[in-house]
Amino acid sequence: MLDTVFFYLFTLLTLGGAILTVATRNAVHSALFLITSLLGVAGLYLLLHAEFLFAVQIIVYVGGIMVLFLFVIMLVNLDAAAAQRQFSRMWPVALGCVALVGLELFYFLGKGEPAFRIAAPPPVPEPTAGNTERIADVLFSQYLLPFEIASLLLLVAVIGSVVMAKKRI
Amino acid sequence: MPEGYVPLFIFLAVAILFPVVALILAKYIRPDVPSRVKLEAYECGIQTASDSRARYTVRFYIIAILFVIFDVEAIFLLPWAVRYQVLGWFGVAEVAVFLVVLAVGYVWAYKKGALEWI
Amino acid sequence: MNGVPLSWYLVLSAILFSLGVAGFLFRRNIITIFMSIELMLNAVNLTFIAFSYDLRQVNGHIFTFFVMVVAAAEAAVGLAIILTVYKNRGTLNADDVNSLRF
Repeated sequence: MLDTVFFYLFTLLTLGGAILTVATRNAVHSALFLITSLLGVAGLYLLLHAEFLFAVQIIVYVGGIMVLFLFVIMLVNLDAAAAQRQFSRMWPVALGCVALVGLELFYFLGKGEPAFRIAAPPPVPEPTAGNTERIADVLFSQYLLPFEIASLLLLVAVIGSVVMAKKRI
Repeated sequence: MPEGYVPLFIFLAVAILFPVVALILAKYIRPDVPSRVKLEAYECGIQTASDSRARYTVRFYIIAILFVIFDVEAIFLLPWAVRYQVLGWFGVAEVAVFLVVLAVGYVWAYKKGALEWI
Repeated sequence: MNGVPLSWYLVLSAILFSLGVAGFLFRRNIITIFMSIELMLNAVNLTFIAFSYDLRQVNGHIFTFFVMVVAAAEAAVGLAIILTVYKNRGTLNADDVNSLRF
């Protein structure tokens, strides 16, 4: 019961933020609504017992990436851009995409409960360790190579962004 | 929802409601006699010089980029830190490789003067 | 599963993804287009986590973690590209940056 209430609360945050992100004219408002949406998603992670990712979502996404976005919005002068038309000629295509997804959803909602049944989950025993510990165990054994490659990706990101943003190297 | 997080949300709700209720309540209780001097941004300071949307210098952005990248790096170290006992020297070696690769980027950025404020 | 079935999460994620697609297609400001991409990434992440919880595995968490890392790197480089475009062209309108268009 409590879970359902929280689910609706976070869904409201997520979808409301997402709709306003797409619909507002001002880029700063857009970024702030995207932060709301990301916080809603973080709450859903908590509902799904992903505590580690809940923290990462807030620290990396909200605290890092969105701050970068706001910095760039402050760096470029958007006052002139906000005055002109915001929505491109592609809006019929966008409307078509959304209508397609909506049609699909309502078709399956009309078919009722059985349409959503996925293959039954295997009977796995409940985990004993905490969420972060389990992530650590899998990350440092099965996903070892991606972990090391991620460091290369971050290195490339440092070099690429500094080269591009700095005036004189 | 894992148990034990409900108090967190009660705390969050109180934290959000308290200023909202306080501000609304204060609006109805306080006497409201505005005048031109009172409505200025700073009653006893200098006038504001320009719009707050003035453009920043790009140096802030370079620092912000480096912050985000090394933020992600620190997040990667957290799972290792909680399983330090189990992973042992193998984990130390893995993380050392990870850190050396990122340290190359740090040294490069330092040498290129990306961290200097000139 | 606790009170909320898996399908609700999947429906939510589908709606979130289509909102991202719509924003990507009909906004003209490059920065807002970039934000729509973040919305789509989040929709996919939510699906990963929902399935991961349903199957009681932790692999989906790892995938989401890597998606976030890639998103951070992508945001750093992408926003630097946007800054360079603004410096050279003086505009952030996606319709005006069309030198590569066939």
